[in-house]
Amino acid sequence: MGLRSFIHSMTAPRTQGNAPEEEVKMVLVVNHGLKMGKGKIAAQVGHGAVIATMKAGKERPAYLESWLSSGQKKICVKGTDAAHLERLEQEAKELNILTARVHDAGHTQIPSGSFTILVLGPAEEAKLEPVTGALKLL
Amino acid sequence: MASTLDEPTMALIVRHDLKLSAGKVAVQCAHAAVSCTLNAKKSNGRLVERWRQSGARKICLKAEDLAELQRLAGQAQSVGIVSYLVKDAGHTEVEPGTITVLGLGPGPRRAIDALVGELKPY
Repeated sequence: MGLRSFIHSMTAPRTQGNAPEEEVKMVLVVNHGLKMGKGKIAAQVGHGAVIATMKAGKERPAYLESWLSSGQKKICVKGTDAAHLERLEQEAKELNILTARVHDAGHTQIPSGSFTILVLGPAEEAKLEPVTGALKLL
Repeated sequence: MASTLDEPTMALIVRHDLKLSAGKVAVQCAHAAVSCTLNAKKSNGRLVERWRQSGARKICLKAEDLAELQRLAGQAQSVGIVSYLVKDAGHTEVEPGTITVLGLGPGPRRAIDALVGELKPY
């Protein structure tokens, strides 16, 4: 999608009603096995949120709008390793939750291509709960 | 091919005096990154595209206190760099309305470096 249509999709009035009925949030799962520094984590989580926002703008504009207008609620939790993140991604996809990945370019701290962050949502809290409810906050 | 110095970049500057947890900092930085990206898309969409295509470079730095964040935000505005101060809703670690993180850019790397070159990585 070009920039113009992206902006249009964010600003045009909605006609179809597939808006989420409850508050939506975004969950960012950090690959804790990589032992990244906290600044590194913050930048990677920043990537994840931007990527997920753009993806939601294309695929679930109503969810994006609801998330942006309700204060961009996000939480950040720990996953054990890349395999764990992949499992969570699979579970989320089965529930039709939007997912996005961050792979690091590897300029600092960790090997290039490492799967650093899994982003779930924006999606309804009740829908996310079975997937991420057991994970610890970062 | 453009040199690394011409690639657009984003800086996320964390207030170090608040002693936030790593998860809190990550979420606040994400907030700044999303808001800066959306604001910059409106004012300079081409730059945002170039930034994303070159890997959406971000760095995370620390500032001493609120005054330093505000000073940087003011300087950014005066040179036309997008800035966004994140105000926490105060559900968890800090008082509602506390300013936690400043996002700058995406903007030309040289211009951002000129603003934040003195700061240390977080």
